[in-house]
Amino acid sequence: MGTEDYIAVAADDWYQRRRQDAEGEFFRRVADQGPRKGQGGSTRQGIYCLTADGHLLAYKNAGQNPDVMREVLSEGLARWAKLPESQRRPGAVEIGSPESVDERYSRTLPPGGLVVKAFTRALDPPEQGDTADDAPACRVEDEAAARDHLWLTEREWRSLIPTNACEGQTLSVPAEIAERILRFHLVDNTRGEPPHWSREEIRRHELTLTVLETSPSGTRLRLEGSALLSTAADPDRADRGYDVSLLGYIDYDAKADRISRFDVAALGEHWGQGPYTRGARPGRTPLGVAFQLADATSASNAVPPQAARDLHGYFGGRPR
Amino acid sequence: MRPLKFYRALPLAAVVSLAAVLADAAEPVSPAAFEKLHALIAPDAGEDQWTQIPWRTSLWEARVEAARQGKPILLWEMDGHPLGCT
Repeated sequence: MGTEDYIAVAADDWYQRRRQDAEGEFFRRVADQGPRKGQGGSTRQGIYCLTADGHLLAYKNAGQNPDVMREVLSEGLARWAKLPESQRRPGAVEIGSPESVDERYSRTLPPGGLVVKAFTRALDPPEQGDTADDAPACRVEDEAAARDHLWLTEREWRSLIPTNACEGQTLSVPAEIAERILRFHLVDNTRGEPPHWSREEIRRHELTLTVLETSPSGTRLRLEGSALLSTAADPDRADRGYDVSLLGYIDYDAKADRISRFDVAALGEHWGQGPYTRGARPGRTPLGVAFQLADATSASNAVPPQAARDLHGYFGGRPR
Repeated sequence: MRPLKFYRALPLAAVVSLAAVLADAAEPVSPAAFEKLHALIAPDAGEDQWTQIPWRTSLWEARVEAARQGKPILLWEMDGHPLGCT
């Protein structure tokens, strides 16, 4: 239904309800026809079925519940079918270019930048009898992976590749990249929008790159290390924390002049929750984060990192 | 991460002291287990079926396309982008 009968679009309500431009005005005009009128700047999130000229057909705020999604889609199609043919036929409505675009809410990957997918999953301890070669954790039934994107500028990803590298050489992960991964991507976003870590909440960390292979055709690196992220200096007194280790492999293809692999896994014990991630499991429980290279040309991979709402802060500046 | 596997095999007192010793450092991820761990965390193809829908990321461009094709629009709007923070 979502593919054949609709033109599907996904958006972050945080941007849409704020932007002061043609798209923002259009969205708010549609949302105002439903129950979410955004009083006091509040959320208007939900599933909307609408016409191109802004008539709301169906609405529900149901998150990711597939049954409710199907119900809303069916309701929307039924109402669409009742509209006169003159309003439904291709070309019946003309949509021009937007008259204005609010650049304050526009986020695009800088040219030459790298997009890395970041998946997060709540895990359980390993099964009894697992060996060292088995995964050191197992999945929690019916718990899906959460997703985000890590952005690195061209200058940043190039800084990962040592010049005149020799095999066995070990270097620190460049500070700005380490900080971005730790603060914004080693977070528990499995139940909603997570709180990110402040600089002060990085209590301990060591992330290194070791050159495994180097040749005219490229360089292969191993990334490894650990970190303690916690809301208090004493982790036993912290209401939220993540004690985590990382291991991964980054390949640079010299011929193509690009990163060709960025597989990193992080595993540790997470505890606590944020204002929008209520319902955490009690105590310290395993949480995993997996990074993998994304196709930067794909529309869905162009979605900015969650933490890039403060773009300046995401790229290392002080929050504005 | 603390060595959960070892907890099951050791007496309680030994577990307590081991945990205290290791309290300041997460258990390293073993290279032998790396591929399995990475695959365990990342979504399976079956888990990700909704990503097969050709989601657009611009509501305005979706309007243009919907008008041209004579279709309604499905807008999935969340606090935290559905394709980027779910």
